[in-house]
Amino acid sequence: MDDVWITGIGLLTALGPDRETTWRRLTAGETGIRPITLFDTTGFRTTLAAQVDVASLPDPQPGLLPRHSTRATHFALLAAREAIDDAGLRASGELPWGLVFGGGTAGLFEAEDFVARRLRHGPRARGLGTFLEVPQDAPADRVAAAFSLIGPRLTVTTACSSSTIAVGRAAEMVREGEVDVALAGGSDALCRLTFAGFNSLRAVDSEPCKPFDRRRKGLSLGEGAAVLVLERADRARARGARAYAAVRGYGVTNDAFHMTQPEPTGAAWERTVRAALADGGVTPEAIDYINAHGTATEQTDPAECAAYARVFGARLAQMPVSTVKGALGHCLCGAGGIEAAITALAISRQTAPPTVGFAEADPACPIDPVAARGRQVRIRTALSCSFAFGGNSAAIALEAVR
Amino acid sequence: MSAVFVRSIGIVSGAGTGVERLCSALADPAWQPRIGLDRPDAPPLAVVTCHDFSAKDHLPPLVARRLDRPARLLAVAAREALAGGGTLPSDRDRIGVTAGTWTAGTEALFEVLRVVFLASPDEAPPMQFPSTVANAPASQLALLEKLGGPNVTFAEKQVGGLRAISEAARLLTHGRADAVLAAGVDEAQWLNAEGFERLGSLRRAGSPGMVMGEGAGVLLLGIEGGPNPYARILGAGSSSAVAPPHLYPGTGGALLRACRQALESAAMKADEIDLVVSCSNGIPALARIERDVWQELFRAGRPAAVAVTERLGDGAFGGAARAVIAALLVSGRASLAWGVPEHLADLASPLPTSAPRSALVVGQAGGGSAIALVLTAP
Repeated sequence: MDDVWITGIGLLTALGPDRETTWRRLTAGETGIRPITLFDTTGFRTTLAAQVDVASLPDPQPGLLPRHSTRATHFALLAAREAIDDAGLRASGELPWGLVFGGGTAGLFEAEDFVARRLRHGPRARGLGTFLEVPQDAPADRVAAAFSLIGPRLTVTTACSSSTIAVGRAAEMVREGEVDVALAGGSDALCRLTFAGFNSLRAVDSEPCKPFDRRRKGLSLGEGAAVLVLERADRARARGARAYAAVRGYGVTNDAFHMTQPEPTGAAWERTVRAALADGGVTPEAIDYINAHGTATEQTDPAECAAYARVFGARLAQMPVSTVKGALGHCLCGAGGIEAAITALAISRQTAPPTVGFAEADPACPIDPVAARGRQVRIRTALSCSFAFGGNSAAIALEAVR
Repeated sequence: MSAVFVRSIGIVSGAGTGVERLCSALADPAWQPRIGLDRPDAPPLAVVTCHDFSAKDHLPPLVARRLDRPARLLAVAAREALAGGGTLPSDRDRIGVTAGTWTAGTEALFEVLRVVFLASPDEAPPMQFPSTVANAPASQLALLEKLGGPNVTFAEKQVGGLRAISEAARLLTHGRADAVLAAGVDEAQWLNAEGFERLGSLRRAGSPGMVMGEGAGVLLLGIEGGPNPYARILGAGSSSAVAPPHLYPGTGGALLRACRQALESAAMKADEIDLVVSCSNGIPALARIERDVWQELFRAGRPAAVAVTERLGDGAFGGAARAVIAALLVSGRASLAWGVPEHLADLASPLPTSAPRSALVVGQAGGGSAIALVLTAP
């Protein structure tokens, strides 16, 4: 069953303003984690994040950026533009396409200055325009406006699993004929709130994060966007489109355990993985690669590996399981979309991307993390997994197109 | 779409805590909410608050203490829905939660930023940070009630609550859950409301505008109706139009498409609808959209119409509250003594004296998303 194809990918990360740059640098083992210049980091545990170099980004097309555009919207528009072009679709006139996005901090970074002024100067504080872009669905609204999309428009906001669910839900929309084409993904931008929050939880590493490594001390935050074009396979075939991968199914569950801590035995995330497999009619034996959540926090990485061990048993030790977070940082509500895009690229190029930052194995994480550089492997079917604040967990199964 | 049942409902609103308080308010032609949200250095804002809400009356004190306000509102409304829903699936991993919110997390977000800006970044309160995510109320509910099923929160401004309901129905019909608590939840937060006030969207003395609402409305949905179902959700439709995030679209195209999809998926014609639950919120542009849609959809037909959002307040909660009220009305368990919308007064029939058999619940958000649901008597 390969009825929903990924025919276009737009990707914008700290490693590059487009899909190919990101993929090339990622598989070469580079990291985008570096000192933050976006805001003052004095007093924080870390001064690092995977920050996008906005100065190097183009306008997605003349006049496309709204007056009060934000980083999150800018990223989303660029990724959408690249994805649509990549799919070879013409975006003109009103399009009845679906749009399912993972919504995160949206315009909060820009509005934080307004909040600071409001606190200090009262109700006459300037900068109200930034406030308009704060709702989590503002980037989706702006993408819809830029490309005249008038189909169903959903913004999922489940923290770090938001855009994984978005891709799964959009695929369902296409599969059931609700729309012929859907754009799915997410966008998130660094801001003081998340930086301060993760610092306060002592969940960040002062150095670039080291997922699945025994020396790991926490995550590195990041920002970026991904947009995937999802199309019915028969329609895509008929117009001669090529596919990166097919979306087989997705699973979404709640751990019902703790707001910020993982369920340590892996039982909760086992349910998530099994739900995705069941939805796609995929057996565990068919999975050749997992794009892991891999945040590099002390408790999360072992819990995640425990979940995989429960599903895949002894096979896990030989299965490539990598995370992009050592290279791209944790892009929060955009992370799932970015990771789904990377997983689709991994399938189409038969290359498992590396876990950048990993060097020393941890017995609590008995996996093959694809150290140092990308590796050529046979990937028929792959999983991309996201485990979020609040126990909102999701996984998506992608498959090579035959 | 396969029909799903509204097994039970729960609500915390400006009318008070519980369905009974809401029904009393609906039946009282003189009922008016208390409007006014205090803020520093300026007059109160046009927000309907749940002014007499106390979580401690409904939740164990230790539980109430660890939840922030939107999570408390949702937990209390959900407990009411769960209590009235009959025997639930024994496997709690088959019970899901969907929530729509416009404002949840804003107060926590503001508090963290206040410390960051006025004290020091390294003093940011770790206990409050998890509440800054909009999915916190739904996640806290899953934790509290040990619900391991799908748990998804949607942010679509005023239609978030209706989205949560239509997506809950989808989870059920796709076999992803056996029961789902579908909710709209919003908190009253002054900075958020002040933004809309400065935009000119909020009602002020002498000028029309929206009243924002605080509360939580919950529908417990299931494939099975349980012992005493309120309604069936027969159809849902969703579309959108191009508009900036803070403005309504210029035409009713999206809402019309959503209504037609909802009717089509319910296998119903427009003239089979007895009642329209309007999304009118006091903003003239939205009233124009609804009027255009009405004329195109119903033509010579004249269903009745009610508008409750101007009194209960708008937001994701407002949409869910409309669905709760629709379920109450089609089940014959409430009557409405007010709420005939002025902008539809010449087009709609008078409110029926008997329970309507079917209701079309509509929602149009700033930014362009539109949703419609068809509910019928069970």
